[in-house]
Amino acid sequence: MYGFHAISTHNGWAMAIAGALIVFSGLVVLSTAISQIHRILLFFENKYTGFRNNNKIQENDEPEEQPDSDLPKEFPSELDEIACLYQPLIEEIGETFYLSDLYKIAKENNFPHPHITLTAFRDANILIPYGDGVFSWNLPKENTVNEKE
Amino acid sequence: MDLLFQFLSNTGYYLADYRNVIMIVVGTVFLYLGTAKKYEPLLLIPIGFGILVGNVPFFKGFGLGIYESNSVLHYLYFGVTTGLYPSIVFLGLGAMTDFSSLLARPSLMLLGAAAQMGIFFTLLGALGLGFLPKEAASIAIIGGADGPTSIFLTAKLAPHLIGPIAIAAYSYMALIPVIQPPIMRLLTSREERLIRMPELREVSKKERIIFPGIAVILCCFLAPASIPLLGTFFFGNFLKECGVTERLAQTARTAIIDTATILLGLTVGASTQGDVFLTPKSVLIFVLGAVAFSIATASGVIFAKIMNFFLKEKINPLLGAAGVSAVPGSAREVHLVGQSEDPENFLLMHAMACNSSGVIGSAICAGILWSFMIVL
Repeated sequence: MYGFHAISTHNGWAMAIAGALIVFSGLVVLSTAISQIHRILLFFENKYTGFRNNNKIQENDEPEEQPDSDLPKEFPSELDEIACLYQPLIEEIGETFYLSDLYKIAKENNFPHPHITLTAFRDANILIPYGDGVFSWNLPKENTVNEKE
Repeated sequence: MDLLFQFLSNTGYYLADYRNVIMIVVGTVFLYLGTAKKYEPLLLIPIGFGILVGNVPFFKGFGLGIYESNSVLHYLYFGVTTGLYPSIVFLGLGAMTDFSSLLARPSLMLLGAAAQMGIFFTLLGALGLGFLPKEAASIAIIGGADGPTSIFLTAKLAPHLIGPIAIAAYSYMALIPVIQPPIMRLLTSREERLIRMPELREVSKKERIIFPGIAVILCCFLAPASIPLLGTFFFGNFLKECGVTERLAQTARTAIIDTATILLGLTVGASTQGDVFLTPKSVLIFVLGAVAFSIATASGVIFAKIMNFFLKEKINPLLGAAGVSAVPGSAREVHLVGQSEDPENFLLMHAMACNSSGVIGSAICAGILWSFMIVL
């Protein structure tokens, strides 16, 4: 038996289509799953870091003395003003960056509550997502000018 | 005098027929390609020498040939017919593979899936040419461009075809530099070949440790028949990444895989005895293998072009050709074709992402085809 007749008799069309669909869907599921690994890890790491910091504060009645930094002693409460303080960090890491990098550098520079702040920046569209953890900075120009003045 | 004549009539010179001579020439070509041209020498040299060994004519019933039940070669061949060697090779491959590039850009895995279409097109072709379903499935898997996977599936479904299928699969893997570049050039424009890929993000150690666990569960739950290949593959990768079993990983990626490759190559080569190998079916298998491999390459490239319709940041369609499972040959070829247009275009890491997903894809396909044949 040869040709299309043989393919149909042996269920070839169904096997080929089903096989192709199964392998495609399997790899799509796998790629989706692995694309989330770093996000899940970041989530747990932040949670763990927050938990550890909370414990530290409870253990010590007096807060630890912060090392010298350029930050004002009283941190502003307005988001735009906080964003101005983040501006030098953005200049350091470039126009597009991984959010994890900004978080890391903010922590190194002793910015208070960087995780909450970055979430607020995202909500206020100051941080624009490009997917895969990459963001760009979108602070209105007048704010940066004000800061320089 | 009688004793002398009897001895002479038992020598290979007396017993040889033209088929043995043809196969010895084929074996010599393999040895030449592996040694002088350096085309996949780790595979072609054991196979080539195996072809020479397997085609020395001998007195039947002496327990010498690979198909005689009490011969040494037959015992070594046991690892092929049971699928043992391919499993061990996958263990070593896993311990060698770095999935960082795939983890950094998981969307490239789709190209590894697209390149598997060659398998299913060839399945139809083989059925149309009159092969039985189990034989057709074994031939089709050549499209995955993965020698161990082809041998594994053939051992399970059509053991009588192991010789031609293994030789075809390894031949086409060795001929990647000849087969793939013309297809890549034919299907892409110069502008497309010039597309540069952005630098990949850094992947953390934790991600690399978690990956084999997630992958083995998702893939093997989908196609449990691929456990012998993917189970050992991801186990090997976990040994490499977990950081506390470096000694085991080192052994898996050196001594173990080398031993399995030597025995696999030698016995597969020896299984190509002229009288068993040189049949019209073998010729058809070679033709279908070439078609399968070409379609696999083409479907990867075409799918990459289709993806570009939907992506803001275009990907270089050459990467699609690396979706076949020939690691790292096809990734290297994609990189070289990219560099021939723009010497500063580095596609190797991205191509490796497609290549390693091709390994996973072809093993899943083998599992799927095996499952289909159980139902038949």
